[in-house]
Amino acid sequence: MSKTTQAPKALRGVGNFIDDRFHLAKTGEKNLRKVFPNHWSFMLGEIALYSFIILLVTGVFLTLWFKPSMVEIVYDGSYERLQGVPMSEAFASTLHIDFDVRGGFLMRQIHHWAALIFVASLVVHMLRVFFTGAFRKPREINWLIGVAIFSLAMIEGLFGYSLPDDLPSGMGVRILQGVMLAIPLVGSYISMFLFGGEFPGEDIITRLYMLHVLLIPALLLGLIVAHFMILWHQKHTQYPGQGRTDKTVVGTPMFPAFAVKAGGFFFFTFAVIAGLSAFVQINPIHLFGPFTPTSITSGLQPDWYMGFMEGALRIFPNTLDFSIGPYPILVAVLVPGLGSMGLLFVALGAWPFIEQWITGDKRAHNVADRPRNAPVRTGLGVAGIICYGVLWLAGSNDILSETFSIDLYLTTYIFRVLVIAGPIAGFIVTKRICLGLQRRDRETLEHGYESGIIQQLPSGEFIEVHKESSDETTHVLENKPAITSTALEEDETDDRGVENPEARKPKGKLRRALAHWYTKDNVSFEGVAAHSGHHLHHSADGDEGAH
Amino acid sequence: MKWITARRRHPLAGYVVVILALALFGVGYAALAPTSDQAQAQTLAAEAPSADEVDIAEGKAIFDQTCASCHNYDGSGTYDEDGNVTNGPDLREVGPAAIDFQVSTGRMPSMDPDTQMPRKPMAMSEEELDDLIAYYNDQIRTDGAGADIPYEVPGSAPERANFEDEESYEEALAEYEAEYDAYIEGADNTDMGMKLYLTNCAHCHSWSGGGGALTDGRWAPEIHDASPRQIYEAMVSGPGAMPMFSDGVIAPEEKQELISYVKTLQAEPNAGGIFDLERVGQVAEGFIGWTVGLSLIIACAIWITAKQRAHD
Repeated sequence: MSKTTQAPKALRGVGNFIDDRFHLAKTGEKNLRKVFPNHWSFMLGEIALYSFIILLVTGVFLTLWFKPSMVEIVYDGSYERLQGVPMSEAFASTLHIDFDVRGGFLMRQIHHWAALIFVASLVVHMLRVFFTGAFRKPREINWLIGVAIFSLAMIEGLFGYSLPDDLPSGMGVRILQGVMLAIPLVGSYISMFLFGGEFPGEDIITRLYMLHVLLIPALLLGLIVAHFMILWHQKHTQYPGQGRTDKTVVGTPMFPAFAVKAGGFFFFTFAVIAGLSAFVQINPIHLFGPFTPTSITSGLQPDWYMGFMEGALRIFPNTLDFSIGPYPILVAVLVPGLGSMGLLFVALGAWPFIEQWITGDKRAHNVADRPRNAPVRTGLGVAGIICYGVLWLAGSNDILSETFSIDLYLTTYIFRVLVIAGPIAGFIVTKRICLGLQRRDRETLEHGYESGIIQQLPSGEFIEVHKESSDETTHVLENKPAITSTALEEDETDDRGVENPEARKPKGKLRRALAHWYTKDNVSFEGVAAHSGHHLHHSADGDEGAH
Repeated sequence: MKWITARRRHPLAGYVVVILALALFGVGYAALAPTSDQAQAQTLAAEAPSADEVDIAEGKAIFDQTCASCHNYDGSGTYDEDGNVTNGPDLREVGPAAIDFQVSTGRMPSMDPDTQMPRKPMAMSEEELDDLIAYYNDQIRTDGAGADIPYEVPGSAPERANFEDEESYEEALAEYEAEYDAYIEGADNTDMGMKLYLTNCAHCHSWSGGGGALTDGRWAPEIHDASPRQIYEAMVSGPGAMPMFSDGVIAPEEKQELISYVKTLQAEPNAGGIFDLERVGQVAEGFIGWTVGLSLIIACAIWITAKQRAHD
């Protein structure tokens, strides 16, 4: 810039005052000019951030009136249908928020819709990170923080769902207690401790309330801040492209362009959530009525993010239960209830380290993978999605059965088969698609793209003219990272014919086997020069490498 | 359009647009807002028809024509040698409440005795049903076995087609509505009705009365269209897989509370928004959250990152 514009005098005074004391200008300049790569899939995490902010604000609003008490009172508020009905203070105060607090109903619905969107955006954000390999070094810690945020968000949602003490709340807590009771030895003690006695007792809502409004949000907030600080420090990953390397980030500067986009995006997120809340009824507690321990109803589910656990409980066969003496071991509750959740989080948390162990890749990666270029990882991701999705669907099997007139038992058998066969088929199909796309990439690199122009040669032959791809495309295709593993590079014997001790151990053998499986199917781009294919050079057949 | 073009940059244009939008929303809301008017129930006021109103011979003709092929001419049903029902069960001890329930909900006559029948429009007229029931009581029913029709509970609303002129129809409708309202409002213990419903009924018919899936390919039907009398009859006769709740188990006054709870809940406006997602609950909410909510937000993310200037 040739001309420096001066800030107004009043602002300059304040600015200088602050800068003289805190030296913010330099740090501010540096941070405000930080660039952020521009791609829609990099905005998914922001949806989670924004819906979390909405959750905090609406949550604070709700706490002003909500009474986390299980003391039984007789309702005499302004909702006529339930007047004279005995209920807990928690339920009565939720009715009060709905019908007597101005804007309270809308706020409660915004809080609930924002919770659904929050967890959903966490999932899509996590999938983006997984499929692009953005969890690789140096970002493993941030991935683990993300997994922790996801697990805490689910628990936070479950507890929030339990607070109003309406019919689904009570049924959700009852299932929670059932899973707890199935834990061998300590189950009944944990349940008695948490509920302060028998179910439902008089303490559970007060305790869940503390966890829901204080402990878990504080943890979430801390983890989200850490997530962002690490992101800020390590910078965002970017998709491959010209000028984008592991050392250079290309994107929009934080200020003003990116800040404006992000700010606008916040308002759009808020608008969608508020729009849903204004027009689509969610969790109508006034219709459900208060929970009593005798109440039970069909057609109620947990909120969607607990659906996979519900589905696992519904389809797991109970033939594996057994007893040790008088003590029953409820495999059919333990495995789906605790196992499904444990498996999900352990698998997510461990994957970056497993992949690193298989490939032996210790380099720092700042350029994201294209999913097709890591076929095994992408296949595993799709297998995971299918497994999760089938369990999730199974959680709504009664609704599916009724809506589509399918025998309820038949749905159970279908889901039992699908939960095993689906991921396997998904893995194979996805991997093949990835390899196919890689082959097409090689083709595009070698021959350019199909222009749609048909030409007749003097010999009478018809050909389609291929044109050279753009420099950007060529750059991306040429720089496809080769999938290798250090495990396969180590020789089985050294130059004196002695077996490699690492490769002899079971762990070493397993690693070699996994490395082979991880790298064996890979379309090699070796020796492929850009635009050297014959489609571009019909007149000069065999004249390879003109470019 | 010229008029607008000339003025759209006027300093006050923004305010005008805002005021118009607010007015549109205000008026639109007033028009669309759910009112607390109870939904019109569809059912009929009737007392027990007296002996001279019914034609037993006509009833026999109907029975022989539409029922006897499965239930036999004497109502004893059709069974194989092992005592399993082949086409239709023995009707002699089921009572007229069961007959009234099955025929008035259109489930009988059935097209296929092997499958569960859905609710349909009734296959005959009210008079024909009265004749049929009179014949049943007179000839087929054994020693007054089974539950009687609860004529004091409001049945189906009168239909225009059964009346010669608008005036008599309106009159019958008003009379029916008064009876219906009196029955529903005669129950004022929401707590009792709610507990009875949620303890005994909701685990099949769901909390909203929307119905649900049962085992072996059967389902609990939704009960929104059922008249109070049909709900009552279902309880005392236990059709299909449904257990029987006789007047000894749930007293008539308790049944009134229960029916009133269901009908009041059904008529309850959706305070949370004009889209109630059929009151399906969390499955529908999750579906909308992903397909509408998250999809719209992601579409916006694609939109705001699509345009990229070279130097920003």
